Amino acid sequence: MAKYILKRLAYMLVVFTIIAALMFFLYNLIPGDPARAEVEALKSTLKPEQYEQMYQEARARLGLDQPMVVRFFKWYFGIWTGHFGFSNYYKANVIDIVKEPMMNTLFINIFSTFLALGCTIPLGIYCAVHQQSKFDQGVQVGTIVGYSIPGYIIALIFIYIFSVTLRWFPVSGSKAPGSSLTGFPALMERLYYICLPLIVMTFSALGGMTRYVRAAMIDALSMDYIRTARAKGLREKVVIYSHAWRNALLPVITLIIGWFLGIFSGSIIIENTFNLNGMGQLYYKGLTNQDYELVLAMQMFYTAVSLVGALLIDLSYGLVDPRVRVNK
Amino acid sequence: MAEEKKKGFFSFLRFGKKKEVDIFQEEQVQSPLRTIISNFLHNRIAMTGLIVFLAIFVFVMIGPHIWILDLGYEDNTQVNVAPGLDMMSYPRALVNEGVQKIAVGNTFSVGLSKEGHVYTWGKTKITEVVDIREIPEEVKKATIIDIAAGQDHVVAVDDKGKVYVWGNTRQGQNKVPSEMMQLENGDRIKQMSAGYQASVAVTEQGKLFVWGNANIFDAKINSAVKEKLIEKAVCTSYAYIVLTKDGQVLYPGFESNAFSNIPESLSSGVVDIAASSQTVAALKADGTVVVWGNSSNGEDLLPDFPSKIINIEGGRLHYSALMENGDVISWGSNKNGQINLPASVNSGEKLVNVFVGNNQNYGITESGKIKTWGHVGYLMGTDNLGRDILTRLVNGGRMTMTVGAVSVAISLVIGVVFGSLAGYFGGKVDMIIMRVSEVVGGLPFLPFAMILSAIVQATMNQTQRIYMIMVVLGVLSWPGLCRLVRAQILAAREEEFVTAAKAMGVEELQIVFKHILPNVLSIIVVNATLDFATCMLTESSLSYLGFGVAPPQPTWGNMLTGANNSVVIQQYWWRWVFPSAIFGLCTICINTIGDGLRDAIDPKSDRQR
Repeated sequence: MAKYILKRLAYMLVVFTIIAALMFFLYNLIPGDPARAEVEALKSTLKPEQYEQMYQEARARLGLDQPMVVRFFKWYFGIWTGHFGFSNYYKANVIDIVKEPMMNTLFINIFSTFLALGCTIPLGIYCAVHQQSKFDQGVQVGTIVGYSIPGYIIALIFIYIFSVTLRWFPVSGSKAPGSSLTGFPALMERLYYICLPLIVMTFSALGGMTRYVRAAMIDALSMDYIRTARAKGLREKVVIYSHAWRNALLPVITLIIGWFLGIFSGSIIIENTFNLNGMGQLYYKGLTNQDYELVLAMQMFYTAVSLVGALLIDLSYGLVDPRVRVNK
Repeated sequence: MAEEKKKGFFSFLRFGKKKEVDIFQEEQVQSPLRTIISNFLHNRIAMTGLIVFLAIFVFVMIGPHIWILDLGYEDNTQVNVAPGLDMMSYPRALVNEGVQKIAVGNTFSVGLSKEGHVYTWGKTKITEVVDIREIPEEVKKATIIDIAAGQDHVVAVDDKGKVYVWGNTRQGQNKVPSEMMQLENGDRIKQMSAGYQASVAVTEQGKLFVWGNANIFDAKINSAVKEKLIEKAVCTSYAYIVLTKDGQVLYPGFESNAFSNIPESLSSGVVDIAASSQTVAALKADGTVVVWGNSSNGEDLLPDFPSKIINIEGGRLHYSALMENGDVISWGSNKNGQINLPASVNSGEKLVNVFVGNNQNYGITESGKIKTWGHVGYLMGTDNLGRDILTRLVNGGRMTMTVGAVSVAISLVIGVVFGSLAGYFGGKVDMIIMRVSEVVGGLPFLPFAMILSAIVQATMNQTQRIYMIMVVLGVLSWPGLCRLVRAQILAAREEEFVTAAKAMGVEELQIVFKHILPNVLSIIVVNATLDFATCMLTESSLSYLGFGVAPPQPTWGNMLTGANNSVVIQQYWWRWVFPSAIFGLCTICINTIGDGLRDAIDPKSDRQR
């Protein structure tokens, strides 16, 4: 097992390096000269020689005068030593900028994941057990609708219903304009503002997750050992929760982990629609503001998360179901 | 037997339940493909999805030939117009009372009856708070003798010489000059005209008054015009022109612009003038028409007049003229069908009067009936740049579907080829392909696609960018399919027919693509269908965020960009409801088709029924 994990980690390192190189060179394809942009404002006030000197200084300071390969390795080893880069737009280290949005994103996503799981697991089990009933068919149609409609359209519809018509929730933002609450009231305000995005995220997750749980449960229910269990005269509850559900858990675990990975990149649309200060919006703003060091760092973070997540999914198979031997 | 077959073929039209056949019969009659098709045809939900999807598909493929998209088109006078085809639906009461005058504003029309009552119709709600339909009480009580409609305001004058202004009055549209309210010597207002947030009026004794927002409109009177007696004044969008009582055309403002450069021939003998938004037309006593100004929409391309012109009226980009024989003729821009004269207008009764404004034309017959031609409205409203939503919807639909289809095709080719090779050959080939697919699959999809399109956007033009988005989506979405095909092929590789093919000495690549692949085709089709929906969703999400297909080229995604604020969501609901509805419907249909296909192919799913 340890050998397998080590092997996987080594492999992950290689993939991470390849993607890092790919991303770094891709970014350098984007036209634009940060050094020029920095000194451009002074152009009219300086003599041409002075301007040229300032420009060269800026280039040297930003490391642009070195060949690209050297710059790549500098940046790459910087990542490993905790230097994620410097944001040109915010004029601060990337690590300091990312902290707050990341907390927001984690907060809202973990919350919505639990909400969604709380709804989908019972629903999926019920539908699987009462397969082909009217209720199940209704849910099936509902889930197709749910996972077919993109998140931002669901968001628009929910804003229309809950914010504009009923006026229950604010349309967007994460706190009232000019609000200076602290402590508990501040938390309550934040929760109030986060309510609608939370509902939208949960709702847009319902469709796919319910189908997944239902399918896993149906597979488990069609196994021979379920027939055996029923033949033994076990109560239906025991058959469903103890025999079938435990076996259906394996694919569901995968789903949950996969869901967690989507947390960081998946909320770009919702955060932009509701104007929440999260990772997704930071990333979006970074791209539109051409703040490339920030975007690059975030991209590498996303990549790392998804690589680690893939490993976790594989390992979780073994943990949930001892029969699965991952280190084959 | 033949009869039964026929019946079976048409039975899907009734969406009926499958006829019960015992297992031996079924095995004998149906090949696997027929079983799949018949299973699918009997799936009510999937068939409904298929029919609706085909309808949408045909709509967006044929639609662009009917509603032709002009990428550069913008019209700031038709911004956020509500859906409806009622721009020329005049009230019956107006006809009953007899039409005195009809004035046309941006999206609304105002009618004045012979009894002095004012009626409004069309899209009268101009902003959240301004609604032309809210005629002031005093106007309803007074006997109005003349009206004029500007961009967003209406001017009316009653028989006592009192002037009323309603609509948008924030830019000084209602600051009527005091001298005008106290005319001497029994003088009274004879004629009025209104332009962009400004109005002009002419009295019977030839006095000229102008008021309103002078920032955009050249609302001044120069000394040369002050000395003259004025017969008529007409407004373009941002200036006005006067006709003196001795038949001379003059420009009364101080600016020098396209209008102030009046042709020499118009210094005398002019009997009527009319204005479009960018040009002015003058009618001379001998029936000749002269047009000057910025004629960018064919306003100066005069048609042959079959009869002598007696009256000209100007719309926004076109003119209509009444001729001596009681017929009318229209010329100028036809972007909104302004000059499409239906045959019924010039047949039957003679016309005695014609009122034109913006894109609408009203002709009054001898018996007092109203005949209309021109633009009736927008079925789905307009967006914030005055573009027709319906046109953008069908063209955007075609773009969204094309992008989806091409990217699925790309991912299909890559996925199937790589998956087949990996599955069949195994070993090192498998290792390399699977590692590559893991790298690509490991990239977080949306962020990476955003980066790629940001890079692409900086260096490419519109068309190349659209192709690049297709490629980006295709290249990023193949790993799932590749894994699926590989797994299927791994299983199929061990089957006897492959061993047989090998024994017969069939080439290896032939075995992969000719013997094995057709056996896993059904699952590929299902996945391609579901991927099509996914690709459309991704494209629209990217476009919604502004990293996909860029405006002005519409897609269902970028039509929703900027819709996430309460004003648009509530006030201009048509801007997001229509694109969302058709897009949602489309993806739902595709997913139901995919699900139906999967159920039809998977024999397991049949067992439970």
